[in-house]
Amino acid sequence: MSITQVAVNEILQGLLEAHVSVACFLPESLMKELFPALVALEDLRAIPVTNEGEGAAICAGVWLSGKRAVLVMENSGIRSAAEALARLGIGAHIPVVMIMSYRGDLGEPNWWAIPHGITMEPVLNALRIPYRIIRQVDEIRTAIAEAYVTAYASLNHVALIMASDVISY
Amino acid sequence: MKRFDCMKLLAAKLKDELVVLSLGGSVDEWFTAAPHMREASLFQQQLGCLTPEAFGLAVGLPHRRIVALDTDGGMLFNLGILATLANERPTNLTVFIWDNECYQSIGCPPTHTAGIVDLEGIAKGAGIPHAYTARNLEEFERLATDALALNELHMIVAKVEPMVEPDLVRKQSDGFEDTVTFVRYIEKTENVSIIGPTEHN
Repeated sequence: MSITQVAVNEILQGLLEAHVSVACFLPESLMKELFPALVALEDLRAIPVTNEGEGAAICAGVWLSGKRAVLVMENSGIRSAAEALARLGIGAHIPVVMIMSYRGDLGEPNWWAIPHGITMEPVLNALRIPYRIIRQVDEIRTAIAEAYVTAYASLNHVALIMASDVISY
Repeated sequence: MKRFDCMKLLAAKLKDELVVLSLGGSVDEWFTAAPHMREASLFQQQLGCLTPEAFGLAVGLPHRRIVALDTDGGMLFNLGILATLANERPTNLTVFIWDNECYQSIGCPPTHTAGIVDLEGIAKGAGIPHAYTARNLEEFERLATDALALNELHMIVAKVEPMVEPDLVRKQSDGFEDTVTFVRYIEKTENVSIIGPTEHN
């Protein structure tokens, strides 16, 4: 199971409406249909990265250029990106907007994904990253728009977490 | 070869470029060696982030040359960026690596490049053909001149002594001030707005 086509379309539309021109991503399974759609999008450059911290730093550089970027990943990525995000956000006030899938939520059938759910919110809170858990497809576009407003006004990261029913296990 | 001498040579070649540089002793050395580039330089304090950030700048400003001044410790922290750069091939990015074979700012315990690890070889293996190593000032100047003249991704490893130049001008600012200074310079030179203004500002 994964993400619906309607949700993929809403994410793409939301990113374009927010004038996002670069998407860094590390592919994962719950939003697997999103990644080829990002690559196929003409008005956006999709950049596959080797780890989420690298993706966060690339997105930071894009922001410094005056353009807008998004980091797309599984929620486990918040752990591997934590060092980069702490230094970029708390240390240098360079904002990164993230979209991540909610692995390990109630209903997660995979034992290996349980730690992702247990650690996600504590890590986000430890990093002082505001976040919104999105459960309805019709929330997506507004949430993306508001994420960029808040990130760029606060000079801090913002995370949007795609959860059931936007994604399904 | 002294890093400070390399920096002075490099600084003399830069004018409209943007620079992102790493932590440690190289901060005050660059602050002193390139006073005309202070606003155009982003002083970062994060291993593994610097070259990715420079790449992000290169993506956002494809008409402008971006120079990354990374370190052996910083590059070893995230070698994955070499694979990403190899695939993405930013033509406006030049990466210099000050390789002193140690973590200098904490007393110089060795990095892996003090052993047999070869960053040029790793970069070439990743798929970056223009990866080179400079072991003296003459080589460094020639490689830097070529890299800055060509519109192709270059990575130059400069083998430098594990020392910090004495009697440097100290950079006083913190990370937030450094970010804002750099952003204001980009806003001014690119005619864009990045931070503010807000509704009631």
